Order: sequence, then structure tokens, then C-alpha cells
Amino acid sequence: MAAVAEAPGTGVPLPAQVQANPITKKLNKILDSKIETDQELLDALETVSPFLTENTLQRRRNLRRDLEQRSLETNIRFLNSFRKVRDAVEGVTKDVDEMSKCCEAMTNRLRATKEQTRDLLNQTTSLQNQSKRVEKRAEIVTAFLGAFQLKPEEAKALRGTADGGIDRNFFPALNRVREIHADCKQLLRTSQHAAALEIMEKMAAAHEAAYELLYRWIQRECRLLNVDFVDLNPLLYQAFEAMQERPVLFKYSLDEYNTARRSHVVRAFIDALTRGGPGGVPKPIELLSHDPLRYVGDMLAWVHQAMASERETLQTLLKACKPEVLEEYVLPVLSHITEGLCRPFKVRVEQALSSENQPVALYRLSNLFTFYANTIRASLQEDAALIRSIEELKELTLNMFFSALNSSVQRMLEKIVPPDTDLLPVQGVHQILLMLRDVLESHDAALVTVTDKKENFTRIFATVLDPMLQTLLVSATQLSPLDVAVYMLNCLSSIYSVISLYQYTDDRLEMIKAQMEANEDVLVSEQATAILKRTGMIDLYSKAAAHQPKQGPLSAISGMEAPIISSALGKFDVFLAKPDSYQMQQCSYLTSAKLRASVQKRTIENVLAAYGILYAKLIEPANNYPQLPLKSFDQVRELLV
Amino acid sequence: MAAGPYNYSYIFKYIIIGDMGVGKSCLLHQFTEKKFMADCPHTIGVEFGTRIIEVSGQKIKLQIWDTAGQERFRAVTRSYYRGAAGALMVYDITRRSTYNHLSSWLTDARNLTNPNTVIFLIGNKSDLDAQRDVTYEEAKAFADENGLTFLECSAKTGENVEDAFLETARKIYQNIQDGSLDLNQADSGVQPKQLPRTTPAGGGDAKQCNC
Repeated sequence: MAAVAEAPGTGVPLPAQVQANPITKKLNKILDSKIETDQELLDALETVSPFLTENTLQRRRNLRRDLEQRSLETNIRFLNSFRKVRDAVEGVTKDVDEMSKCCEAMTNRLRATKEQTRDLLNQTTSLQNQSKRVEKRAEIVTAFLGAFQLKPEEAKALRGTADGGIDRNFFPALNRVREIHADCKQLLRTSQHAAALEIMEKMAAAHEAAYELLYRWIQRECRLLNVDFVDLNPLLYQAFEAMQERPVLFKYSLDEYNTARRSHVVRAFIDALTRGGPGGVPKPIELLSHDPLRYVGDMLAWVHQAMASERETLQTLLKACKPEVLEEYVLPVLSHITEGLCRPFKVRVEQALSSENQPVALYRLSNLFTFYANTIRASLQEDAALIRSIEELKELTLNMFFSALNSSVQRMLEKIVPPDTDLLPVQGVHQILLMLRDVLESHDAALVTVTDKKENFTRIFATVLDPMLQTLLVSATQLSPLDVAVYMLNCLSSIYSVISLYQYTDDRLEMIKAQMEANEDVLVSEQATAILKRTGMIDLYSKAAAHQPKQGPLSAISGMEAPIISSALGKFDVFLAKPDSYQMQQCSYLTSAKLRASVQKRTIENVLAAYGILYAKLIEPANNYPQLPLKSFDQVRELLV
Repeated sequence: MAAGPYNYSYIFKYIIIGDMGVGKSCLLHQFTEKKFMADCPHTIGVEFGTRIIEVSGQKIKLQIWDTAGQERFRAVTRSYYRGAAGALMVYDITRRSTYNHLSSWLTDARNLTNPNTVIFLIGNKSDLDAQRDVTYEEAKAFADENGLTFLECSAKTGENVEDAFLETARKIYQNIQDGSLDLNQADSGVQPKQLPRTTPAGGGDAKQCNC
């Protein structure tokens, strides 16, 4: 038994005889089977055990049937379960089928749709392209409009504010209009004629309207400028700058300014005349009307100062304009502004003049006018009313001056009497010369131009001196020629000494000098003749001077015989010894020592010359004179000079 | 839009007086042009210069009338005192005679201007100290006695020239602030900027840029 038992364990093949016996085999097999290790068996047992609650025969007999029963039941459950599954699967299949059908339908539809949308797509693409093109064009058009059209705010600025004013955006907008207009000219060169023309037209209209507005505005602004000190609205500078483009409107605008300022200046002038400064200090100018020179001087100074201020204001107004515009308009505008002053000024001056008849005062007034005419000439137009007025007043005062001077001279000349025996200038002469000096003194040298001065002086001399000299000559008619000469010389030297102190008297001095020389000549020749007469030389001299050699010897001519000559020479020696005693009394009346000396010297020279001629004849052998008590020419000269 | 030279709030009128040859025109030239004019011709009648200055933040335009010192122009020049806000009375520190005449100039100035006119005494040619003929102390005493402000200047070097003109303007401005100078009267020598107008257009900005 142990061997057998061991055999399966050792694996040693059993002896053939063991195998050969089926019962053995079977037995072995049963014995060998190890139930406890047979898992399947264990599981089966385990499965069976729950329902085999009691180990009875009955049960054991029925086991098989029970198991089959259970098996059957289980299978039936299987079957049921599978039926459900099958049903479900069938449902799913059906669904899938339907889905498949659906899909197919959809695919078909898609295909159909695709077929259909191909056109659409093409259309879309083309539309898209088109839209891109259009967009690009839109961009170009916008750019074009941007370049050639005003922005809404610009258009608004150009239309001005509701009440017709403008603001600071106006001028940039106006510039835009101008630019666009200029750009359109560029545009005209391209093919866009129509557009360019249309835009130009529009811009021109906008431009026109803008200028219209601007002008209205300037008009209104300018009307506010008739006040003392103008704080110019800054927009005004720009307005005038912009207006330069429209010369006509520019001129009209300036006219508005003109009018406003003119009325202001006139009002201010009247104020200064009648109201004066704060609290009456300085006094109103009219309070000075009793003193014409002061009155007129103050008025002119006021005008001069007002002009300086007006010029500044105007230059400020036009500061943004081109220099040539400034140059063109400043003078005319100032001329116009000051025009209003002419009437009030002239009326007052004429009133003041009506009570003035003093030549000196009138002359100073005329000089004052001349000065101011020259001073303000540079700031105004050549033909400005103010300058014209001043020139007229100058002429008026100058004429009044000359007529006053003339009547004064006439009045004084009426008092001129014949001179006394002393032959000194009479009182009237001094009076007139005093007045002349006052007039010349009053001439403020630098106040008037040289030409004016010269002209005036010439006229003054003509008015004063010519009638005076005439009257003097007439008054001296009863005197001897010698007395007349002395008297005239005395008067002339007084005149000379007065006017030689002044400028521009050369012509007149020359004339006086010539007159004096003529009188001096008379005096010299009278005196020389008298000396020659007293010494008995006069006949000898004239005969000797007239003698020609062909008449034969001089000694043979009657009256030239040697004894006669000898006696005359004797008398001449007396003269030579005391020449001063032979001087004529009148000569001592000459007021000027210089003149006296000159007359004396020239007389001696004349006498000497006469002696010289005689002497030459006497010593000439051809004249057959014996030895005479002759003094040589040089000896005589020695004695006399 | 701020246009410098045209932007100002007041105009003050000045007059420069004093004997011939004391350097009135040179002072004006130095002040307006900042240059010394060596061969300055005699002034004929009156001449005119302007400059804009600043006093207490206010821009003020000075309108300066330079008068001829020669006696024969007195008839013309005395008409220019009217309505001057400031009078600069000048003498030459190297010539006593010009100093001696000051009282007559001062009388003229007082008689012909309004009571508020600021009179400023200037001793010119302070660069010629070696030739000095009038001491600073003497002139200062004269100025104090007459209630004048006094400075010695040199139109040649420019020393104190600015100060003289500016100080005068400051005094005038002070008078305006005090209310002693009534701007509403004509001929006060000062022209004020108007109150800002409410012009229909641009009234608002006009306040900012009163050019």
C-alpha cells in the first residue's frame, strides 16, 4: 500500500500490471484525487451547500433534479435578460439606421446647398472685393474732402457768432479757405476739372462771405474806438492783417477807424481847450487866449503830441500788416484823423490874431507856424489838411506881420524931420532901427528853415530900410551935397551896425556898403577939390592933366607960366605944413571914426595923385620950366601920409 | 498772440527839461536805445521817444518828450509841459551854471504841469567825476528841500539812467494806486487801459492777451 500510495507522489511510473487493471485505475484515480485541493469541486460544493440545508437521502436523491431545476431557472433568467438586451440592441440599430438616413439626407442637402452657395460665394467674394475697393475709395474721398472741404467747426467759425462777431478760430479757418482755393488750382492741372471748379466756387463764396462778415465786424469794433486810450482788441490786428488781401475793404475798414479816431481827437482837443487838466491844472488852453503866442503854441504842441499818440495807436493796429502797407496808409490815415482839428484850431487862431497888431508878436507867430509845419510835415501827407491850415495861417500871420511892419514904419517915417546941423541921424531913424532889431531878434534862428529866413529877412529889409532911406533922402534935400553925403553916411553906418549883427544880411550889407562908398566918394572928391582950390593947384592940375606933348611945352600955355606955378607951390607948402587944418568941417560930423580916417586918407591920396601928375609935367625937360621950388613926389608923400 | 511791444496797460507822458547841453537827448537815447550818442546835435524844438517798461507787473508805455534847452525854444517847449505825468529835470554836474538854473526850471515845471506830476532831478555826466562842479550832497539837499527824487546818472555809461526813468514811473504808478492821480481827468499824462470790454467776439480771450 505504501508503495502504491507513494507512487503518484514520486511520479514513478506504476508497474504495468497496476495500470492494466481498470478498477485499480479507477480506484487510484479516486484515491489520488485530492478533493480538498480541487478548487472547482470546492466551488461546486460551496454552491450546493446553501440550498442543501439538510443532508437527507431525499435531498441527496433530489439533488440532481434540484440542480437541473436551478439550472433551468437560471437559463430562463438568462434568456429573459438576453431578450431585453436584444431588444435594446435592436432599438439602437433602428436609431442608428435612422441617424444614418438622416445623415444621408443632410449630406444630400449639404451637397445641394453647396451646389447652390457656390454662386453665392462667388458673389460674396466679388462683393467683398468690391467693398474693399469702395472702402479704399471712401478713404481717398475722405482725404480729398479733408483737403478740399472745410471742417464743420471751421465752417462754423467762418459763419461767426450769432450776433455777427468773430472768434479766434475765424482766422485759421479763413486761412484754410484760402489754402483750399490755392490747392484747387493744383487740382485743376489734374483731370478733376469739374470738382476743382466746384470747390473753388464754393471756397470763393465762403471767402466772400467771411470777408463780408469780417468787414462788418471791423466796422462795429472800430466804432468803439472813439475813446481816450484804446485797448485794441487783439483780433483787430488779425482782422486788418487779413483785410490786406482786399484793398478796397481794407480801405473801408481804415476809414471806419479814421472816423472814430477823428471824432475822438476833436473831442479831446476841445476838452483840452475848454476843460484843461484834472481840477483845472493845467489850465484849459483857452484861458491863454489873451497871449496869442502862448495860446497858439499850446494848441500846436497839443496837436503835435496827439499826433504822436495817434501814430502809435495806428502802428499798433496795423502791426501785423506788411511794412509796405503800413508805409502806404499811416500818413494818409493820420492826415485824415487830424483833419478834424483844422476847423476848431483855425477859428481860434484867427480870433486870436484879430486883436494882434504888433509886428514882433506877429512875426513870432508866423515863425511858430513855420516851425510846426516843418515838424509835423514828416508825419502827414504832403497835402494834409492840417499842414495846409498851418501853412495858410503862417501865410496869414506873415502877411499881417508885413502889413503891420509896413504901417509901423510909415507911422515912424511921418515923424522924420530934416537933420540938425550936427548931421546926426534923427530920432525917427533910431526908432525904426530899434524896431527892426526887435523883429530880427525875435526870429528864432532854428525854428524856421534857412530859405524861409533868408526870404523873410530880405522882405523885412525891403519893408523897413528902403522907405526909410528914401524918406531920409527927401528930408535932406535942402542940404548941400556935402551935408547930404555926411548925413547919409551917418544914417547908413547906423543901419550897418545894426544889421551886420544878423545872419543872411550879406546882400543888404553889400548894398549899404555901396551906398556908403558912393557918399564917401562924394565927400572925398569934394574935400580934395577944396584943398586944391585953396592952394591954387586946381587949375594947374587940370591943365597939366589935359596937356598933350604936341601942344608944345607946358610952360608956354597960359596960366602955366613958371611964376604962377611958383606961387601956387608956395601955397601948397603951407598946406603941406598943416594938412589937418584944411579938413572940411562936415567931415568932423561923421560919427564913425573909421569913416573919418578913411575919408581923410582917401582925400590925401587924391591930392597926392593930382600933385603927382603935375610934378611929372613940371620936371619934364620938354616943358621948358626953369628951376622951380619943387618938392619931389616922394617928399610930398612923406609929408602927407 | 502776445505781441510784446504792443502789450501795455498804461501810457505815461514824460518831459525832459534842463539847460542846453546837459545831455537831455543823450539820456533819452541811452534809455530808449541803450546806446550813447557821442555827437548829439542840439534839439530843435522837441523830440519824441517811447519805451515799454514794467512796474509792479504792469506793462507801461513811456512817451517821452525831449525838449530843447536853448532859451529861444522856450516859447515852444513850455507848451509840452501840459499833461506830463513825469518831469525829468536835468543838470550837468560839471557845470555849475546848469545847476544854478534849476530853480527856474522847477518853477516852470510846477507852474505848467499839474500838482501830481512827479518831478525827478537828474545830475548827468557822473562819469566825469574829475571835473565835478556840483557835489552830490549839495544837489541832494536841494532835491530834499523841494521834495524831488534825485539821482546822479551818466548817459555815457548808462549808470542809473534806467533807475531814473523807472523810479519816476514807480512813483506815478504809486500815485495811481493811491488814487491821488485821477485817471478820469484829461491831461493827467496817464492813459489807462480801458476796462476789459465785453466785445461780442472774443471778449473772453481778449482779457488774457491784451496786445
